[in-house]
Amino acid sequence: MTDSSPEIRDLSHAKDMIVCDGVNKWYGDFQALKDVTATVKEREVVVVLGPSGSGKSTWIRCINRLEVHQKGVIIVDGVELSSDVRNIEKIRSEVGMVFQQFNLFPHLTVMDNITLAPKWVRKMPRVEAEDKAMALLERVGIPEQADKFPGQMSGGQQQRVAIARALAMEPRIMLFDEPTSALDPEMIKEVLDVMIGLAESGMTMMVVTHEMGFAKEVADRIIFMEDGELVEVGTPEHFFTNPTEDRTKLFLSQIL
Amino acid sequence: MLGFIFSPDRRWEAPATNLRLLMTKAYPTEQYARIWFSLGTLLVLAGLSLAAWRAAPRTTYRKLAGKFTGYGAAVIVVGLLAPFSAGATLAYLAVGAVPLVGGLMTLRLLDNHDERDMSTLLVSVLVVAAGLVVLWTVPLGQHTFVKGTAYARPGTVALTTKLPLSVMLGVMVAAFYVGSFVRERFKSLKAALALLWLLSPFILTMIVLRDPAFDSAHLISTDIPIGLAFGIGGGLLLWLLTSAKAGEAGRAVSVLLLVAALASFLTPMRMVVRIDALMLAALALGAATFAGSLESRLRYIGGWIGVLAIVNWIITATNTPSTVFGMPTGTFFGGGLTLTLMLTSFTVIFAFPIGILMALARTSKMPIFRVMSTAYIEAIRGIPLITVFMFFAIMLPLLLPDGMSVAQVPSIVIGYTLFSAAYLAENVRGGLQSVNRGQHEAAEALGMSTAQKTLLITLPQALRVSIPPLVGQAIGTFKESSLVLIVGLFDLLFIARNVIPNTSDFLGTSRENLLVASVIYWIGSYSMSKASQRVERKVGLGER
Repeated sequence: MTDSSPEIRDLSHAKDMIVCDGVNKWYGDFQALKDVTATVKEREVVVVLGPSGSGKSTWIRCINRLEVHQKGVIIVDGVELSSDVRNIEKIRSEVGMVFQQFNLFPHLTVMDNITLAPKWVRKMPRVEAEDKAMALLERVGIPEQADKFPGQMSGGQQQRVAIARALAMEPRIMLFDEPTSALDPEMIKEVLDVMIGLAESGMTMMVVTHEMGFAKEVADRIIFMEDGELVEVGTPEHFFTNPTEDRTKLFLSQIL
Repeated sequence: MLGFIFSPDRRWEAPATNLRLLMTKAYPTEQYARIWFSLGTLLVLAGLSLAAWRAAPRTTYRKLAGKFTGYGAAVIVVGLLAPFSAGATLAYLAVGAVPLVGGLMTLRLLDNHDERDMSTLLVSVLVVAAGLVVLWTVPLGQHTFVKGTAYARPGTVALTTKLPLSVMLGVMVAAFYVGSFVRERFKSLKAALALLWLLSPFILTMIVLRDPAFDSAHLISTDIPIGLAFGIGGGLLLWLLTSAKAGEAGRAVSVLLLVAALASFLTPMRMVVRIDALMLAALALGAATFAGSLESRLRYIGGWIGVLAIVNWIITATNTPSTVFGMPTGTFFGGGLTLTLMLTSFTVIFAFPIGILMALARTSKMPIFRVMSTAYIEAIRGIPLITVFMFFAIMLPLLLPDGMSVAQVPSIVIGYTLFSAAYLAENVRGGLQSVNRGQHEAAEALGMSTAQKTLLITLPQALRVSIPPLVGQAIGTFKESSLVLIVGLFDLLFIARNVIPNTSDFLGTSRENLLVASVIYWIGSYSMSKASQRVERKVGLGER
């Protein structure tokens, strides 16, 4: 697969990985999500754009239930999110999440950060978990950092470890919540490269980001959100060259 | 201050001769081997631990020379400031000049970048050896040359003290060497040492306290059946409650059990039964969280049996006449520093898990835990420590049902533990709150259960942050244990202030004794503080 021009992939027959139907969420009187309805197919890369406060992060956090939606249905890999504890844990171990602030565990080494969940949640033997962690660290390009603590690494390296940590659980879906927003400009590329590689390997991804270049190059579909609503959904080509909605045009004129 | 220390009116032989009284109160002389054995055990542990956790194994000549210079200067300053006769001042100056000049000369000889070093091990051994030589050769005692009067009261250290002490220090050095040797080969040395330190108060108490015939009949007829009944019955109950089908009915059963356990305190009943029931109720309430795989259910039941075994052992040890704590109320003959150390170590060891549980309960999502722990913490923090001591020493025996008694020291330990646990809980809660929300989210996003999240992510970080306040509290516990004099226990301070100065030979020597007692308290507190700094460095507090 080439990493230049976005390939048009036919995903119409792919299985639905994430289905959201009429999802609503309120914080007190403030409505953060308004009837969000969307479907993400298997192997699809969906980039969510929108001004800050538009509900992008809230939405993807609802998908692995870090936030609880009050109305509507979310189905992840065929399992509907409900308040049943085991249900949630099952979904969370299928869905990897990468955070804006990395959220690595500062008291553990890089190796322990990556192997902790496989060992305790997946009950994987230690040796196997460590072999796998080393392979993942090589994949994200920092195998030599295995014995360091997160505080001793740069932001870009930390975020790559965070991606490796999420991948160690062998998730079927990866959610990225502004993965490059807390990074210095010169480190953004190293993280984006890892994400591009991941997309090419066929991972189902939902990415909230402000990186337009990434969106153009990698996304199968772009979803534009504002005020908790999905304003416009389309291919990158459609979105950047020929948007239909006025709000999208305004947003694009402000950032491009 | 120096004038006070070196005055001819001072009678330093008072604390010196009565050192045994300060350390152990009237411990029978013929049994003193037990005390030496306990001290030896502690020193061996200390030697091994120093080797295992050794931070800087080598020190440079420059640092050593600098230290010598400092010590020499200190002696000279004392000589100049103290109200000595000219001759005595000169003597002090001469004694101080040797290390001062020697140190300065060495510093001059070595250039600034001299990196030659020697192992700190060797230095410590040399210091210990020098101390022993002084102990055996120099006629220790009180020598003062105050203006006008030459004053000397030589005294020798009794053979029964210096011989065992020398042996013990030798053993400690040997332990250090063994520790350094074993360190590389035996990976779990630190874990083993930590466990031994944890167990040492229990074992040493057993050794120090006289242990007459053990009342095994009571144990077999009462304590073991109760423990077994709760172990099996409780295990079955938890097995049912952790099943996926328990649901609301399970929760109702748990609440009923809690009410029954609380109600049992109103009716005459064995304390063991009440406490066991209360613990079972608490675990039953938490059972739903652990429902799931066969393995996690079995582990939960294993946890119940473990906690039950430990708690019942403690209750048995505390309650049964003629076991380790078996002195009938009021006739506890240990005292002095031994008592102070016992109170401190038991209180800290017991308060630690209780405090952590309280802190977790107070930050829990379940209202019943939160309300109970908040009520407890706020109630205890509103009571002065003296009141707690008085309540547990005087009121508790009156409130206990017929036929049940708790000796004074264990009952004080219970009170002190409950008191410290409340404060400890607040320190840990501070740590828990300092853990970033993102940490919880990351753990949850990886599919960890609440228990895994707490034990693997939140608690380790919280405890790391809480090390300084927790050690501060341990030091406080050590010093504040002196308040037990209010209920007539003979701890270190009480013996220094009231016992020695009232013996016919040493009337009115309370000032000397108090100064010595404060030095002992200072040594204890300072070493805890030092150990804490070491631990903080080890876990990289403030660095990552």
